[in-house]
Amino acid sequence: MSYKIPMGPYHPALEEPYKLDLVCEGETVKDAKLHVGFNFRNIEHLAETRNYIQVVALLERVCGICSNVHTMTLCQAMEGLCGQTPPPRARYIRTIVAELERLHSHVLWAGVAAKLMGFKTMFMTCFEIREQVMDVLQAISGNRVNYAMNRIGGVNRDIEDPQAILKMVEALERGMVSTIIPIFTTSTTALSRCIGVGVLSKEKALSCGVVGPVARASGLPQDIRRAAPYAAYEELEFDVPVLPDGDVKARLLVRALEIMESCKIIRQALTKLPPGEINNGDRKPSFITGTSTSRLEGPRGEVIYSVSWEQGSNNPSRVHVRTPTYANMPAIRWMVIGARLADTPLIQASIDPCYSCTDR
Amino acid sequence: MTACAASLLEGIPERLGLAANTAWEEKGGALWLALDPPQVRELATAMNEIRARFLTATAYQPAGPESAYIEYHWDCDGQLLGFRFPLPARSIDSIYDLCEAADWIEREIHEGFAVDFVGREYEPLELRQGDTLGVNLREEAK
Repeated sequence: MSYKIPMGPYHPALEEPYKLDLVCEGETVKDAKLHVGFNFRNIEHLAETRNYIQVVALLERVCGICSNVHTMTLCQAMEGLCGQTPPPRARYIRTIVAELERLHSHVLWAGVAAKLMGFKTMFMTCFEIREQVMDVLQAISGNRVNYAMNRIGGVNRDIEDPQAILKMVEALERGMVSTIIPIFTTSTTALSRCIGVGVLSKEKALSCGVVGPVARASGLPQDIRRAAPYAAYEELEFDVPVLPDGDVKARLLVRALEIMESCKIIRQALTKLPPGEINNGDRKPSFITGTSTSRLEGPRGEVIYSVSWEQGSNNPSRVHVRTPTYANMPAIRWMVIGARLADTPLIQASIDPCYSCTDR
Repeated sequence: MTACAASLLEGIPERLGLAANTAWEEKGGALWLALDPPQVRELATAMNEIRARFLTATAYQPAGPESAYIEYHWDCDGQLLGFRFPLPARSIDSIYDLCEAADWIEREIHEGFAVDFVGREYEPLELRQGDTLGVNLREEAK
């Protein structure tokens, strides 16, 4: 006999609202339906009432974790409509901040995953490491959430102390290599909760259109930094970790390996950081009529912005935001079918969902 | 554009019944192909055949006399593709059965712009409280 368990809108893993109606037989999940929109804000519509400076501040508030990637994607799209190109130093600073954001997002997620596995010591270890990244972001931008780094034609703040970032990167790599990766790959506590759990096959991943680490953990080698490079990525060497298994362990390992790659990218970018201006000064952008679409690889996957403008207008006529969680969440249905009910919170968390992004 | 994407895209105009010399137009960071007559389901099938990845759809409601329209985006080996479809009757064929990834965005556009995606059923609301589907939020907010 099957029975229905409504899970949410208070999320079992994260402090954000969303609902999963699970149909179970015994302890096994047979089907699931997702419901989102509990905090829908219609930021896209609000954006049509903001000018080119205000709209950056507004879209930075789409997400509290990957706020930088939203403004960077938006600015890239707007730059496409006003013909401004960021100076080389700004492109490198954008890359460094984007990778710092990926670091703190992935380490935060590893901590949350550890907590859901009942491994609270690991949760504290991850958050201790993440704190070092947050300190660096605060030192660069003066803020720990909304960094306000991006503007049309460059960035707002320079990196004045590259050595401090390099020290943090080294400490982070040590923590990853000596503690986090070995424990997540050898600990029975971690592995018993992850291996073969919440599997998303390669075919299903392609059909659902999942992005970022979720796609790469299901064997899809897609990464916008590599496929359609932006900022300074074309000038930097890095690998794109891809694993075939499609389970929670693969999603965990892909992110762990991406942390190492981010460290590699940051080190190269700091070494190659070119001298010069960080933006185009106070030159007012002159927008042409049209639509520009920009894509970036955020911590959770591909972020897409389509921005439309009418020449002479102060405000955009349309801003469309496709966040990675929006693409990844529907796949949760296929991950939980056949899983044990007790594993569903960890499976849901394994896509690193952001309901703030989804309810943009 | 990669050689792989170029080779895959070369046959798309003919596959969609357009003249073989129909060119893709580069604009706003994407390659665009004008489809006349609009044939979104044939497009979705052709995109599936070349294993292009569905990205998103964006609805537009211009302030002037121009009718609403919708833009679809796919990714072919890192190349962003765009296709624009006018919505004179505020409806268009659903591609959800051909392209699972289009489900949520079709529902969202239906709920936010009152666009009907023909051939599909809608699940309960994604965006807001209430029980009425297919409301144009932009008109409601005025």
